Amino acid sequence: MEPKLTLQSLLEKIQSDDPDVRTAAWLAAGSVGASALKPLAELVAHGELEVGRAAKRAMWRIVRTAGAPGQESARRAVENALVDLLSESTPDGVRREVLWMLSEIGSDETVAAIRQIPGILENKAIREDARCCVQRIPTRAAVRALADGLEAAPEDFQLALAQALRARGVEVDKAKYPCVKLVPTKETSVKPVK
Amino acid sequence: MMSRRLHEVPRRAFLKTAGLAAGTAVAAPHVIPAKVLAAPGRKGANERIYVGHIGMGGRARGLYREMGPLRERGECQSVAVCDVDEKRLERAAKEVPGAVPYRDYRYILQREDIDAVVIGTPDHWHGVQFVHAAECRKHIYCEKPACCTLEESKAMIEAARKTGIASQIGSQGRSQPEAYLMHRYLVNGVIGKVHWVECFHYPSPVDTSHTPDSDPPPELDWDLWLGPLRSRPYNRRYLHGVFRWLLESGGGQIRDRGAHVMSCAMYWLGADGTGPVEIEATGTPPNQGLWDSAVLMNVTYTFKNPDWKMTWTQMSNEEIKRRFPPEERTGDEPGGRITRPGYGAVYHGEHGTCMHWGGDGGTWVEKKVRQWEPPAGAKDVYRSPGHMEDWFVGIRTGKKCIMDIEWGAGVANLCILGNLAYVLGRKLRWDHASWQILDDEEAQRMISRPQRHPYHL
Repeated sequence: MEPKLTLQSLLEKIQSDDPDVRTAAWLAAGSVGASALKPLAELVAHGELEVGRAAKRAMWRIVRTAGAPGQESARRAVENALVDLLSESTPDGVRREVLWMLSEIGSDETVAAIRQIPGILENKAIREDARCCVQRIPTRAAVRALADGLEAAPEDFQLALAQALRARGVEVDKAKYPCVKLVPTKETSVKPVK
Repeated sequence: MMSRRLHEVPRRAFLKTAGLAAGTAVAAPHVIPAKVLAAPGRKGANERIYVGHIGMGGRARGLYREMGPLRERGECQSVAVCDVDEKRLERAAKEVPGAVPYRDYRYILQREDIDAVVIGTPDHWHGVQFVHAAECRKHIYCEKPACCTLEESKAMIEAARKTGIASQIGSQGRSQPEAYLMHRYLVNGVIGKVHWVECFHYPSPVDTSHTPDSDPPPELDWDLWLGPLRSRPYNRRYLHGVFRWLLESGGGQIRDRGAHVMSCAMYWLGADGTGPVEIEATGTPPNQGLWDSAVLMNVTYTFKNPDWKMTWTQMSNEEIKRRFPPEERTGDEPGGRITRPGYGAVYHGEHGTCMHWGGDGGTWVEKKVRQWEPPAGAKDVYRSPGHMEDWFVGIRTGKKCIMDIEWGAGVANLCILGNLAYVLGRKLRWDHASWQILDDEEAQRMISRPQRHPYHL
């Protein structure tokens, strides 16, 4: 049974110099829940190296606790808190992590939030992670978002979206959007030795 | 394009191989004319098999060396090498004279003169490269574990079935001489019906280096190293070799050695093609560092019809020494000394127990198993000619390899499900027939991990 922590004690312990204290804290973070996500994300972005790693693990612990069967209200609260972290004020590295968290527990609320990120289809820093997140959400709204994205995306992102649609069982025009997975692109400068 | 040459395989070597194939359930005559064996897409006994090596790092070079006897007999020739690290590629080009070096494995798949590939890349590439190679109709030897997600394992089986290629996953414990003895011992019911396989292993390491992210070294194509994994800044603690200690790329000890020790159990108990119904796991994570696989771990797999369980426990080296001390061996007997006593399994049956140490390239079984003389009428089991050789029999005859992808995927599933139950911290219910996790939507989503374009299944 994980010990119950308060938000304040979780944040204090995550920032401890003692790795065992940090670890015990992130392991118990699930019980603290959604309210801890924003301050933990701050530590992921700006904390010392090992503190940031512990904070990230605490966030994942919260997500996976809320994702358990029968935890719908906790899941919704965690999803909302994560969606808030998709805003442009959050560093891209944290947004990418948040997108993967949402890929596990997100619903159509997540899909809608991703669609509303300004310039998402052009944003090379996060769009591929966003595409993966939407691809993983098993709803029709997610498939619609991918299809709409394909229509509106710049050329250099279309094939990724087309492939995401195929992964979701949607037929996509092969002539217009070919699958390039078997096309080699990377040359070496190493020469054969006789 | 390389010209295709016929090569005369020494008759004794070929007959030995063909005879071994005939010892299996596959109906193969003792002497097989090349024209019979050379079915569409399959080379005859006298034809040399051209091989491309995808990945030329530590273990992959070992695989190249293990093919040495086959090369010496003229059964195959290594004609291409590939690595995303230019320094490694340069070394490989020197070690494999005449082979064409590539950074991108897809050039190898495009070459029609190449019949087979050996995949020795980090685990997160296995599923994608296997499926791509099968789609390009290459026979495949793929290092274990077969893959990292349950979606990949399913896709790999489907790709191999669709194209009819011969596949071998590198859980070579099945092919070891003493594995044959243990298999025979268990099949003949010497300890009765086995109800518990108790696997043990020493811990995964902790990264105490506090290494920050940095720019990748100039020789490394970081994008291609990541492949299907999501993009992130380079950190040298992801590679080489140590990828093993990250859940997404290596999966820790359970996906590394579990793919050996549990492979032996599934094979010896005739459980290939089945799966557990429940998986429970607890573990101790590393207390710092980049790596996240469990240091200590307890996993229980419950099987039904027949009912048995398998446990996987990562414990301290002291506990292993106390509970599973290696048997005294002189080193002069076949199999030599036990050089890997830190992992293995105990088989608990109705009438007693038996155990082995190792389970990969080194597999040592208890003295009573080694000394057991089969009585008249005892059942015999398949004796592998060696893991690589068994693959070549599969390539030439169509015989299902001893660790065909169907079996390899099943074992990988065990490792993956164990880690999944560990990271989620809850019991999982698995339906092997539908390849689904039941009544847990988050876990079910984690069956797949969307892959970065264009490095996808």
